[in-house]
Amino acid sequence: MSSAIGKRELEHLAKLARIELDPGEEERLIKDLAAILGYFSELQSLDTANVEPMPGGTDLRNIFRADGGENGGAENTNRGAGADAFPESQDGYLKTPPVFE
Amino acid sequence: MDLLRNLTITSFRDGLLEKRFSALEVAQASFRHIREHDGEIGAFLSTAEESALREAEVVDLAVAGGENLPPLAGVPLAIKDNILIEGLPATAASKMLESYIAAYDAGVIRKLKAERAVFLGKANLDEFAMGSSTENSAFKTTRNPHDTTRVAGGSSGGSAAAVAAHFAVAALGSDTGGSIRLPASFCGVVGLSPTYGAVSRSGVIAMASSLDQVGPITKTVEDAAVLFRAIAGHDPLDATSRPDLGDLYRTIDQPKLEDVRQLTVGLPEEYFESGTDPAVTKAVERAIEKLKGLGLRFKKVSLPHTKYALAAYYIIVPAEVSSNLARFDGIRYARLAGRSGALAETYFRQKGAGFGAESKRRIILGTFVLSSGYYDAYYDKAQRVRTLIKHDFDEAFRGVDVMLTPVAPSPAFKIGERANDPLAMYLADIFTIPLKLGGFPAVSIPVDRESEGLPIGFQLIGRKWREADILGIGQFYERI
Repeated sequence: MSSAIGKRELEHLAKLARIELDPGEEERLIKDLAAILGYFSELQSLDTANVEPMPGGTDLRNIFRADGGENGGAENTNRGAGADAFPESQDGYLKTPPVFE
Repeated sequence: MDLLRNLTITSFRDGLLEKRFSALEVAQASFRHIREHDGEIGAFLSTAEESALREAEVVDLAVAGGENLPPLAGVPLAIKDNILIEGLPATAASKMLESYIAAYDAGVIRKLKAERAVFLGKANLDEFAMGSSTENSAFKTTRNPHDTTRVAGGSSGGSAAAVAAHFAVAALGSDTGGSIRLPASFCGVVGLSPTYGAVSRSGVIAMASSLDQVGPITKTVEDAAVLFRAIAGHDPLDATSRPDLGDLYRTIDQPKLEDVRQLTVGLPEEYFESGTDPAVTKAVERAIEKLKGLGLRFKKVSLPHTKYALAAYYIIVPAEVSSNLARFDGIRYARLAGRSGALAETYFRQKGAGFGAESKRRIILGTFVLSSGYYDAYYDKAQRVRTLIKHDFDEAFRGVDVMLTPVAPSPAFKIGERANDPLAMYLADIFTIPLKLGGFPAVSIPVDRESEGLPIGFQLIGRKWREADILGIGQFYERI
């Protein structure tokens, strides 16, 4: 495990996460992440080759439900109350800033 | 205030039915108390006086009409502000959602509305429930009602402080790694993190979906059992909520001493090593002695992978955070003013201005551990370690029914003491995290009902779906 994220790597990660960081935040993050990743290195000593990964909190499989009104339905989703909560909308649709200016 | 100080869910019900007070009187007294004292505590981000008083009046009419009332009718509750109540703000203590009004009720709120509970308002938390002190709230720090120079714990610090300060009779919090149990311990109240899948996560702003559970924060273990029973149960809107629980929790507030005495309590040796504040060690020993007096048997057990749990957790959680928080793009839920531009630029600016330091730290860390070239070394590795940790608990539960540990290595720390050291902050959850990785339930119970110094809690961990064991022991403990 490499245990350092440099300025270039951090800028790449911030781009992947679509998040703007100012120079002060970058400096602090580089320092914090070095400490946190250093702490993670403890895991290296553990042999997990024959262990199955645990993908989530539940062992339930294939849980389905009808997409009807009694389960929340359209009035609670993007065509109803969800759309009312959009900061900007038009005719019940989400209005976004232009893709190109 | 004297009225509120002595109120629990069960004594509220008695007083209401015996007409010693009305639901409206108690709700009005709660708001008066909040107005006078929440300035120094900071438990609430918003209050909902109008709708709360209206609901209380409906309950009073039902009492007058001699109706059969559900257990939580009229009970004034504080609700953590990452849980949606239709028409009320749900900020998750983030600037990103400062102007967001919930469009629907969370699954747990639907259940509580059916019981006619009264919602006083939305309680403070660490931003998006990420933190151990509520210092990560974008709006304010919640102070510990027992010592206002200290933190209330987090992330459900507002909920725990609201109960400890008698603003609310009980509260809902959410627990991912310790966010109900740590503030409960710091504030001298009871907090339960249920088995993963026992309580609906629908309408709860997601932090780490494989770990998040909503649970009660109350003054007594009996109250925790009553409130837990009200919110537990299947919800088709949460695919991880268990469909076949039936009436498993029906009598959870009526434990039998002969059943509780049959239980064997494990003491995991890894949780009693050096590094814990002597005050905590002494308090936990006191709790053990009291329980021995009830006739419970104790046995040493081992959870050998304990020391890897925190590292695995802080890989898995940021990974899930980076996915869950991606939806907050400044387009769909709320938009910060004065930050226009083309679409892609809007994302960068809104997220840059909308998220606080800990959120950014976890988003970047999560993006890193999931990124090509690092996935196997970090995320996949952590998931394998998660299997080993769950296996530890499964093995130990072959020989014991429950386990007892401290909740945190120290009592409430000073405000500001750990704010600039994320690792020191993460260590506050070292005893509450491991069991969560396996999906087990655990409750934090104050060692002493009234304490001279800072409150200290002990933790009981149960087998999955066996909340009845830990809450049963707890209910007899508080009668000693």
